[in-house]
Amino acid sequence: MNILQVSARLKALARWVKQSVQKNLNSIFVVLGFFLFWEAVVWIFQIPPFILPAPSTALSHLLFPRADANYRWSYHISSTVLAIGLSFIATSTVGILIAIALAWSKRLKEIVLPAFVFINSLPIIAIAPIILLWMGYGVFTNMVIAFLVGFFPVVINTITGLEAVEEDLLDLVRYLNASKLQVFLKIRIPNALPYIFSGLKICSTMSIVGAIVGEFIASDRGLGYIIINAQYSMNTPPIFSSLILISLAGALLFTLVSLLERILMPWTALEAEP
Amino acid sequence: MSKNTRKTIFTGILLFFGLALLFGGGTKEASPKAPAKEAPKTLEKVDFQLNWKITGDHAPYYVALEKGWYKEEGLDVNVILGQGSGYTVQVIDTKKADIGISDAPVPITNRAKGAKVKIIGIIFDKHPNCMYFWKSSGITKPQDIVGKTVAVPATDGHKVMWPAFAKQIGVDPNSVKFVNIEPAAKVSALASKNADVVFELYTGKPFMEKAIPPDQLGYFVWSDYGFNAYAHSYITHDDTIKSRPEMLRKFLKVTYRAWDYTLKNPAEAIDILGKYHPINKEDYLANLKVVMDFFKTDRYKNNGIGYIDPARMRETVDLVARYMNVQMNFPPEDVYDASFLPSPPFKYNW
Repeated sequence: MNILQVSARLKALARWVKQSVQKNLNSIFVVLGFFLFWEAVVWIFQIPPFILPAPSTALSHLLFPRADANYRWSYHISSTVLAIGLSFIATSTVGILIAIALAWSKRLKEIVLPAFVFINSLPIIAIAPIILLWMGYGVFTNMVIAFLVGFFPVVINTITGLEAVEEDLLDLVRYLNASKLQVFLKIRIPNALPYIFSGLKICSTMSIVGAIVGEFIASDRGLGYIIINAQYSMNTPPIFSSLILISLAGALLFTLVSLLERILMPWTALEAEP
Repeated sequence: MSKNTRKTIFTGILLFFGLALLFGGGTKEASPKAPAKEAPKTLEKVDFQLNWKITGDHAPYYVALEKGWYKEEGLDVNVILGQGSGYTVQVIDTKKADIGISDAPVPITNRAKGAKVKIIGIIFDKHPNCMYFWKSSGITKPQDIVGKTVAVPATDGHKVMWPAFAKQIGVDPNSVKFVNIEPAAKVSALASKNADVVFELYTGKPFMEKAIPPDQLGYFVWSDYGFNAYAHSYITHDDTIKSRPEMLRKFLKVTYRAWDYTLKNPAEAIDILGKYHPINKEDYLANLKVVMDFFKTDRYKNNGIGYIDPARMRETVDLVARYMNVQMNFPPEDVYDASFLPSPPFKYNW
């Protein structure tokens, strides 16, 4: 790839980022409008903060130091971000590897996949306390919980992608004496990328659910911990502050995955262009 | 895509995650630590399991940590948040933690089922079980609960002990309709009138009063109506009693010293707790002040905080056996060991 090509790629990427921002401008307005409406409702009906705090109250808890409580937001935010990030990386990596192994061996798939369906059907809220009893507190426990919540879409999507290859193409490379490994590396995995990414996008939001559930049940730090602690004492504003932050984290992770998708699969955008 | 671009992208990703790890690793050190005082070089590690998420009555442990008292005694105490008394007993019985807080009847019933756990000191000298209701519901005495809807989490100590209390006040335990709720939803269940009665500790009163005007909130503390069981206590494993008696003695000495300090300086204690946990100090101070009522007894005045009264412990075991249908295959003296309590005791002159 020469310099011209690289700069063309970069330009395309920049254009894509610009377009996405423009496209999402409306959603940003919708979100802002929602917050304004919420603020107005609280103000007009004089709703007490323990039932529904105004977004401005939630934000003021977040942004300004308070005399009556020290929430140490940066400490809790960074532990939640770490938990989400590690959970997402671990879940997606392990999920993709499992899927490749299952696609590689039909036999293994027949044995293991039903078990995964079984595991995926377990209500996480019921088994999380037991996981806690086995493993104790910590980021690792949160990761295990997030993995159980999020690995299934990654595995299923990746397997579908690995198997959805045109038979003609496979016949052709078989005719050219391609090894199984070559078929995987050159055909199946590139072909599966769009499927993997849609799995990862689902996984990105599931990791957040998993990590927060983990913090609810098994943690002494993080936004989930702030929520559960505040719930007990009917201290609602920090709950909403945390919820706003968690949603932001979700949107951010989703955007990162989309960006990665755009970088690794530039052709999808090229196809979409007129 | 050429190999070089791919390489650049992967290096970028690796770098990003590396930084994330570094950043995250840094946050662990941000956790507040007790000021390092002159302490013995090798500290004995003690895992201490709380009964629940942070409440005002957990302040003493952080007072002791902040002031370095555990370290002075050579203990490195690690406070672990809890999931209820039943969970504490499991954790202690499986030796995942050394000492824990549990409602007294829970280790007693579990001991009858084979758990090797013992009570080594009392926290609340009065039982804090309580029922809350709207005054407008027409409830004027505990017996009026018959036929009402009661919201309580399935594993809650209140629900476990309800049959005993019901028989004491002379009502049929099955005469109420239980609704299962999430522990954190107790206040909202009553505030929204989704239940007529909510079982919640008396210590939760300040939180109830946030949602329900105090002049409309009715409550009965069970101990005012003859429920004389022991409540929150420190428990440990039989093996720990055999192998680490000195550690238990040191732990209780510092812990009751911290209780003594907390009862005398509640506001400072909550300030310290606020350094470790995201709490609203005003609410938690109100919570702690309610808790202090459970220490204002003649037993604690004469014998010191934490004192285990043999007669009352027998009564507690008897209550568990009689009303909760537990077969006691051991004498009541087996459920506790009072030999680790501090001497001289910290008497509470309220």
